[in-house]
Amino acid sequence: MMERLRWQYWPLKTKLLLLTLSISTLGILLVCTSLVVVENENYQEQLESELHVITDILTEQSAAALLFEDDQQLNTIISSLRQIGTIEQVCVFNVSGEVVSELNSSGGAGCPDLGGAPQVGFVGDFYRLLEPVTLDGDTVGHFYLMSRLEVLREHIRAFIVVTFSIGIVIQMALAWVALRLQRLVSEPIFELSNAAQRIAREHDYSIRVPVYGKDELGHLGIAFNEMIGTIQQQNLRILESRDELERTVADRTSELSLANRELEAFSFSVSHDLRQPLRAIEGFGQALEEDCGDQLNETGRDYLSRIRTATVRMGGLIDGLLVLSRVSRQAMEIKQLDLSVMLEEIVDELRETTDSLPTHVQIQRGIRVVGDERMLRVAFQNLLENAWKYTSKNDQRRIDVTACEAPDSITVAIQDNGVGFDMKYVEKLFVAFNRLHTPSQFIGTGLGLATVDRVVRRHFGEVYADSSVDRGACFYVKFPSSMQK
Amino acid sequence: MKFLIALLLWSLVGTANASVRSEYEVKAAFLYNFTRFITWSDPLAEAPEMRICVLGQDPFGDVLQQLNGRVSQGRPLALAYPGSLSDSDGCQVLFIGSARSRDLPAITEYAHERQMLTISEIPDFVEEGGIIGYVKEGNVIRFEINLQAAQRAGIHVNSRLLELAVRVIR
Repeated sequence: MMERLRWQYWPLKTKLLLLTLSISTLGILLVCTSLVVVENENYQEQLESELHVITDILTEQSAAALLFEDDQQLNTIISSLRQIGTIEQVCVFNVSGEVVSELNSSGGAGCPDLGGAPQVGFVGDFYRLLEPVTLDGDTVGHFYLMSRLEVLREHIRAFIVVTFSIGIVIQMALAWVALRLQRLVSEPIFELSNAAQRIAREHDYSIRVPVYGKDELGHLGIAFNEMIGTIQQQNLRILESRDELERTVADRTSELSLANRELEAFSFSVSHDLRQPLRAIEGFGQALEEDCGDQLNETGRDYLSRIRTATVRMGGLIDGLLVLSRVSRQAMEIKQLDLSVMLEEIVDELRETTDSLPTHVQIQRGIRVVGDERMLRVAFQNLLENAWKYTSKNDQRRIDVTACEAPDSITVAIQDNGVGFDMKYVEKLFVAFNRLHTPSQFIGTGLGLATVDRVVRRHFGEVYADSSVDRGACFYVKFPSSMQK
Repeated sequence: MKFLIALLLWSLVGTANASVRSEYEVKAAFLYNFTRFITWSDPLAEAPEMRICVLGQDPFGDVLQQLNGRVSQGRPLALAYPGSLSDSDGCQVLFIGSARSRDLPAITEYAHERQMLTISEIPDFVEEGGIIGYVKEGNVIRFEINLQAAQRAGIHVNSRLLELAVRVIR
């Protein structure tokens, strides 16, 4: 509440009014004060000259009486001053400085001592005057007069009251005029500010402010309207282009998904359809080997065996393609998983089905991720199979699975002691049908890591690898935390 | 205690009395002051000096000597003691001693023809035709003026002086 009272919170109107009024108040005060000062000076001068005139007359009158020491006559002369109410004291001194006649209106102090050079002029509440009484240039005595200044004070007081009353009336009139005139300035600004606030709040760019006059405020209003007009047009254009863009995106998306679906359907049917002739080749190849194997010579059996091996490889390829297309198409079923348990299961299967190499597998306990169980199983099956496969030529196999949690992600690292690869081919690693080893070195379809990549991407994560030749390889799968929650 | 205060007051009065001037000192001062409020209508009388003559016995003693050399209306005063009335020609102010009270009308007439301001302490001097006469009211010295005589003599008396006179014969 106190905040509201501070200057910067005051409305412009009040500030303008206050500004005008403070200036006019200052002006009026200065004028009134100077009038009072000038009036005071003038009145003092007037009073002084009046008293001097009176004194001059009286000194002229009393010169003879002083000379002839006629105190009675002197008393008569100065008693005429009784009629002037403000005269406090009158003293007449003879030539030797003795008081010969005296008038005291309020029985105050006696006459001053002439030897002590009494104060004259405006001192305190009195005006004092000492004039010599002269005759033909000879000083025959002195005339001392002391006048109260209450008339002056009262006059000035009345003058102050009148002056300041007039000042207040003028100030009120000025306030009324200022109130009227400040609207000329503050109204357009107020409307401008209101319009700007409404536009900011409601985003309604059709609002315009009325334009007053041809001054800066008028220009401001015109500029404001033009600016809002421009913004309105641009906004319209942006909205239009956004709609257009959205339409285009929707079109493209539907086209793309249609193409994708067709492609997937194609790859699925191709894989599916390829399998039948392949099964026929494999079946009849087997039948040929079993039934007519003894009729073939060594070379013939070798060819047959190569055909069957190729068939098996092709079957593997087709399976791989099917898996790949499945992980691409399948709807995801997200839930919390214990990855450690899943990896243990996969490793157990691998131990049972493959060679009897001494194997040390270390899997960190309690790695928990969120995702589709079947897809993740496919991905980690591929990764572990790779690790298994590329370590098969070692004396012993060592696989470490660890997890590293960062605030925004969890990264699972699968480290093996296999043959590794050259980092300059790392780009090709996750591309389908790209292989870094020949089938004679290590068998494979070239689809495994592509499948892993697809699965991890569908979980909004990323997969990358680090290795050098004969030093083993490490594959990292990074899941974002947003996916985990 | 009361006695002491009375004694103190008495001594104060005593010293005050000491400063009071003698009757003739006052009269001499008045004589000088009269000359300052009087104007003579005849320009021939405007001699370079103003002669003040004392006719008959001089009651002032040497008090009057103080006037010698003083200036009145721009003219220095000069004292003269004429032996007889005829010797007093050329005087502007004539003080008539008490001893000459018997032939007063003749003296005033003679003096006024020659534009002299006649002053005297003779009682009823103004009624006898003199212009300014001293009177004593208690202890205070005052004066009377015969304006008719002054006008006849061609002497103008300042109104301020008239205001102060005890009596003015018009």
